[in-house]
Amino acid sequence: MRVLVVYSHPDDTSFNRAVARAAVTSLTQAGHEVDLIDLYAEAYQPAMTTAERRAYETDSPVLDDVVAAHARLVRRAEALVFVYPTWWSTLPAMLKGWMERTLVMGVAFELDERTRRVRPLLTGVRTIVGISTYGSPRRYVSVVNDNGRRTLTRALRGCTGWRTRTRWLGMYELDTSTPAEREAFLDRVRLTMKGLP
Amino acid sequence: MNVLIVACHPVPDSYSASLRDTAVSTLRARGHEVRVCDLEAEGFDPVLTAEERRLHLAAPSTKPHLKRYGDDLAWCHMLVLVYPTWWGGQPARLKGWIDRVWMNGVAWELPEGGNRLRGRLRSLRRIVVVTTHGSPKLVNALQGEPGKRVVSRSLRLMCSPLTRVTWLAAYGLDSATDDDRRRFSARVEARLRRY
Repeated sequence: MRVLVVYSHPDDTSFNRAVARAAVTSLTQAGHEVDLIDLYAEAYQPAMTTAERRAYETDSPVLDDVVAAHARLVRRAEALVFVYPTWWSTLPAMLKGWMERTLVMGVAFELDERTRRVRPLLTGVRTIVGISTYGSPRRYVSVVNDNGRRTLTRALRGCTGWRTRTRWLGMYELDTSTPAEREAFLDRVRLTMKGLP
Repeated sequence: MNVLIVACHPVPDSYSASLRDTAVSTLRARGHEVRVCDLEAEGFDPVLTAEERRLHLAAPSTKPHLKRYGDDLAWCHMLVLVYPTWWGGQPARLKGWIDRVWMNGVAWELPEGGNRLRGRLRSLRRIVVVTTHGSPKLVNALQGEPGKRVVSRSLRLMCSPLTRVTWLAAYGLDSATDDDRRRFSARVEARLRRY
């Protein structure tokens, strides 16, 4: 299976980096073909430009080579894996902007001319996996709502179709966690990646 | 009242930009002290850097480049956010303003050994959101309105228990007419005139 891993964390020594590495290694060992987009390493610019917004509803909304390359990776992926820290209960700006610029009309969806409804174009994506770290305890996250999770498992599924399966792996209370807890989480990540259909 | 308006849309002559102008003129006419932060015009960089991440728990004085933004946030009694909703939430540039400016020592502090932030924006008593959705309300409801919850829960928790959120949202703009837009603008103006 072709798997696209999209990873966003500013710090190269972070736990998120270890998670991304564990995910890529396990997927490769399981025989999958893995593409990795490391947004900070690529110095990605997440803000949609004025020209892009003006082109958004045209037939050619992709204006940038980097965005075009990412769009090609998305189009051939059969699984999408996101690795990021949850900030303010949702995606970091870096990852949110990657969605805004990459998953545009003609890449991720099309608009029905008559009904103006969104039709999914990423129907080849069978699984979406979200792996995120949280500073807060799990109960707190569920009270304020896990908005990043909603974005990836609901809004994004509008572009993959509702038959796409989702998996969610959350590492809560990261800042006060023990090394053993972090290692156990990495094991969960490895196991989940190996078990992807 | 001190009012901070934070606006974010990449196109200067967009409908969202006209809503920003409506908010600015209406609130100024009411006699409020209004500061405007147009993230697009300022070219605000939404990317939280590795250095800022390392200084996550350090005092705001360690990030002098963000001081102006932090000062405005701490100064305001009312915060007005004007933006288009994309993928159910705030555009990246606005999310980056939250990621970088709602920092330790300004928006919150972390008690020693704790893992829950304690809010510091106690004089911020109202957050107003003026936002546009391309998709209908039903689609957004099914998606769980992540952007609405970021404001009404995550951000509001950094303010006072008395802080209220006013949600002014236009839905279904992909199929809206000019009349629909005018009606929504009038609604925004009427609502803001009450403050």
